[in-house]
Amino acid sequence: MNGNKSLYPIWLGVLGIALLAGAIAGAFIFMQGHILFNANDVLIWTLPLGVYIFLALSSSGLTLLSALPLVFGIKKYEPFAKRLVFLAIATLCGGFVSIGLELGSIFHMIYIMLSPNLSSPIWWMGAIYSVELAVLALKFWKMHTGDYHSGFSKLLGTASFVLALIAPLMIGSVFGLTESRATYFGPVMSIYCLLMAVLSGTALFILYSLVVGRVAGTASSGEYAADLYDEFTLILTYAAGIVTAFTLLKIIIESSTTIPAFLVYHKFEHLFGSIGVFGTEVILGLFLPFVLLLIPSVRGSAGGRILASALIFVGSLARHMEILLAGQSHPVGPKAEQFPQYVQYVPSIWELLVLVFALAVMLLLYTLGERYLKLNEAPTG
Amino acid sequence: MPRYAMVIDLQRCVGCGACSIACRNENNVTEGIYWSNKITETVGTFPNVRYHYIPTLCNHCGNAPCVRGCPTRAMHKLENGITMHDPSKCIGCKYCEFNCPYGVIYFNWEKPHKFWRSEEAAIPGGTASPKEVVEKLGGQAPPYFNPERTGTAATIRPKGVVEKCTFCDHRVAKKQLPFCVEACPANARVFGDLADPTSEVSVLLGKFHPFRLREEIGTEPHVFYIRGYNPARYRATKGGV
Repeated sequence: MNGNKSLYPIWLGVLGIALLAGAIAGAFIFMQGHILFNANDVLIWTLPLGVYIFLALSSSGLTLLSALPLVFGIKKYEPFAKRLVFLAIATLCGGFVSIGLELGSIFHMIYIMLSPNLSSPIWWMGAIYSVELAVLALKFWKMHTGDYHSGFSKLLGTASFVLALIAPLMIGSVFGLTESRATYFGPVMSIYCLLMAVLSGTALFILYSLVVGRVAGTASSGEYAADLYDEFTLILTYAAGIVTAFTLLKIIIESSTTIPAFLVYHKFEHLFGSIGVFGTEVILGLFLPFVLLLIPSVRGSAGGRILASALIFVGSLARHMEILLAGQSHPVGPKAEQFPQYVQYVPSIWELLVLVFALAVMLLLYTLGERYLKLNEAPTG
Repeated sequence: MPRYAMVIDLQRCVGCGACSIACRNENNVTEGIYWSNKITETVGTFPNVRYHYIPTLCNHCGNAPCVRGCPTRAMHKLENGITMHDPSKCIGCKYCEFNCPYGVIYFNWEKPHKFWRSEEAAIPGGTASPKEVVEKLGGQAPPYFNPERTGTAATIRPKGVVEKCTFCDHRVAKKQLPFCVEACPANARVFGDLADPTSEVSVLLGKFHPFRLREEIGTEPHVFYIRGYNPARYRATKGGV
């Protein structure tokens, strides 16, 4: 961050405070347990899991984007490859912070590997993301040492692409393979997660590049880079269009089906409010930015891109939370005896601190990467 | 190898809740967690209303979603069909609880038996506090602590792991009935070996038309319900227009 040196220590200070607050929250969660969360035996998974899903999928999206130069050999994207891989690593680390606190112990994350159950989608999700992190780190190290094109380096690129393709499908299957919760739409959830990975990953990359480019002046710049940002924005527009079509279809099915689970689901009060059957997060976090991206003058301006990608990125977290919570909003079986018919949710301060901690770790890594790891480097020859 | 199952006779069941209290005592179950529970339902419009009561517990499914989905095999099947949970392997992901179609798995959100750690007396200066009661009894919480739960599972499950009914596997291993079955004053619960065609459960399942909860999702529950408690009579009629 050499564009604005006076901002740098302030930024590090803000990150330091966020990390400290997150670490204190983590210590309290380890000591006192998940009673600190506004979760219960009906709303089993809440904000920390939503944050993990959001960041893990965004990381997968970034890895998939990095495959354009690293797997499919599209050379014009090579100047972005190193930054994409690094952002994928940092974003996944943020996701791991969140899932670590959701599980209550870092050792629990490691133990998954020691006692595997191959029929469990959660095991596959954990295993694939762990391997993906290792492969991405190796790939980044190879790129950092100037090795983009050796056989091993290409193998790492291909492996990370395949893993990033499978991992979102596994996150989707965690929900989709739940026989008792029809409202998660079965196997279709896996496709949705893959689409959301591409959408939020692309939004994150555009948002990050434009903001860092303006604030610090280190992101790829110049006319050549501007053309490529046009192309990334086009990818974002297509992804937003596909997710919009998918979301509309989902809402139509939810609204018209008479399957009992969906009739109960209708009574869920949207976490962020709604207009008719459309949740606010869908309107502001998907439909609006998609419409904005369809307007050439908005799509072509830096301000328009920042606004659209920011809306999509934040909206992605909101949509993951809405889907996560709506599917758990009513008690299953005898739990209706101890809980109200519909359980509402507002995150506790501890859950918000998990979000802050995860984002702070991610942003600190971004910051250090920009400063020390020459993320603008492109392969020579 | 036996395949244990339970038949609950809804005609004999009076909804007294003795099964739930017995279970809580036998398995040192903490407050807020229900290994043995119930589904109640009121149907009709006043004055034509009726109250229905279905006792519930882990169904020890033949095709258990909780076992299939557990990432560490903490939730596992015994050869006799009992679905067991090993807290030492549990990472607290709660997927089994999320995945259970019957709502019979609970999570220990905090250190168990919070009430018995309270230093607040019901009548200050008049009664002992729960913590004092526990200390006088040797420090194990709760005062009705049952040491016989030890052996096949944790005596008291710690915070950060799930727990559920085990068909009292520790008693079954000693050729004793699950304690809810033992405690039922109406003999509404019948436990036995489904693999033995002469067992009481097999006889009952052949005599009546049983139903199981959410059979349509293919989990093969091993808790069966027979008959129904409904002494109501009505005059023979063909209705009217």
